[in-house]
Amino acid sequence: MKIRLWPYFLNQAFANIMNNRLVHFITLGTTAASLIILGLFLLIFFNLNIWLEGWGKSLTLSVYLDDAIENEKRESVRSYIAGLPNASVDRFISKDGALEELRKLLGPHSQFLKGLDSNPLPASFEVSFHNDLPEQLDPEHIKKNIEALEGVDEVQYSEEWAGKLDHLLRMLRFLGFFIGGLLCMGVLFIVTNAIKLTIYSRREEIAILKLVGATDWFVKIPFIIEGTIQSILSALLALLVLFGGYLIISAEKFQVLGLIALDFSFLPSSYSVALFLLSVILGAVGSLVAVGRFFEA
Amino acid sequence: MIKLFHVHKNFGVNVALSDIVLNIRKGEFVFITGPSGAGKTTLLRLIFGSEKPASGQLLINGINLNRINRKNLDLLRRKIGFVFQDFKLLSRKSVFANVALALEVSGESKAYIRKKTRQALKLVGLVEREKAFPLQLSGGEQQRVAIARAIVKDPILLIADEPTGNLDPELTKDIMILFKSIHMKGTTVIVATHSRELLENTAQRRIILNRGKIVEEQ
Repeated sequence: MKIRLWPYFLNQAFANIMNNRLVHFITLGTTAASLIILGLFLLIFFNLNIWLEGWGKSLTLSVYLDDAIENEKRESVRSYIAGLPNASVDRFISKDGALEELRKLLGPHSQFLKGLDSNPLPASFEVSFHNDLPEQLDPEHIKKNIEALEGVDEVQYSEEWAGKLDHLLRMLRFLGFFIGGLLCMGVLFIVTNAIKLTIYSRREEIAILKLVGATDWFVKIPFIIEGTIQSILSALLALLVLFGGYLIISAEKFQVLGLIALDFSFLPSSYSVALFLLSVILGAVGSLVAVGRFFEA
Repeated sequence: MIKLFHVHKNFGVNVALSDIVLNIRKGEFVFITGPSGAGKTTLLRLIFGSEKPASGQLLINGINLNRINRKNLDLLRRKIGFVFQDFKLLSRKSVFANVALALEVSGESKAYIRKKTRQALKLVGLVEREKAFPLQLSGGEQQRVAIARAIVKDPILLIADEPTGNLDPELTKDIMILFKSIHMKGTTVIVATHSRELLENTAQRRIILNRGKIVEEQ
């Protein structure tokens, strides 16, 4: 195709968009919405991965004590824990302290705590291990040893949560692929139909172009450009909305169980570029399918 | 230039053309005439490559249209001008843009397109109305725009299907004069018509079709 034809193709593509504004506006909205859902999945998936990686590097324990534990026994539990290699007791949370933290965490919803006859929360030690070599630590073994101590009710460690979240992450990945696949097919369907509508509105012109000797590609290229422009705008809109949403959400720190503060990150550039390219490819393929079908017919 | 050997065309059970043998030489002016449904339009569509014969061979400038691929057919059409009864102009484009379209598809330069389009519009007497839109023109003017579009690429062959079907006798004469002047420049011209005005006082070759067969040649 001659280079001097490209300004004509671009002109035609923009003219098509302007002549079918409503169709393109609706298509832009629906395609961007699909990409936003896809982007949300990527965003959640990416952040869960980061959080899990962070947890995997450091081992922390919560040691819950019996309500009836005496001070002496509590101190011997503390000494035992402090004596473990690389371990340090970061803080002791009394029953009252735990209730107070829960009250703060619940904020305005803490009213219902007033109805409690007694404090149901246990006192606990928060323990961390300084050595960042989790493979040298056997959390299950440590947990069993501490739980065997008199006055200890239960021990929970971060990897238990990490394991549960890892399982969740795998499910999310599967769900993401499934929903992502469906959304991609949806975007393809939407773009294909939008281009079909513009082809339909220009069918008379196409017939005349063919009569004066236009090749199939001469007719097809403006429609493919049109679909591609449409998908570029949709991808940019989707990324803009995602980033706006991220700015709002990232102002808050996420807390898990009121203990762990998590940072929320935006999609890295590689993910954003991938989402953008996916949209462009879907737009180009959708238009190609639409013009292909038109010429077959 | 155009050779048809025992060409047959049918649409389902309806026979449109039967055993057509025809030879049109380069630079000829030929009328194809006959009553409605005689097969005139089908014959033109076969020559233009819009339809393929059911059997028989059709050659244009030595190219067998039975074997031509889609791209080469498009390229061949750039050498053929076609004028329709219903003009087939794009109402959203100006007169100039409608005529220029035939050159834009070939990827010609802007300067060349401008020069050739003005020349074609001058020939049909519409250079002053290049900015007008088709719906602002009379029927005769619209047909002249369609003729300008057909001749702007200097075709070797000009085909016209009932070009004066929608025009009054006075405009019919104007269009006929235009075709003759195009023919004088060496273009082969084929006009399908059943218009008596168009055939009056002409010495050109006439091929008379009836029920899909050539019944007479004059």
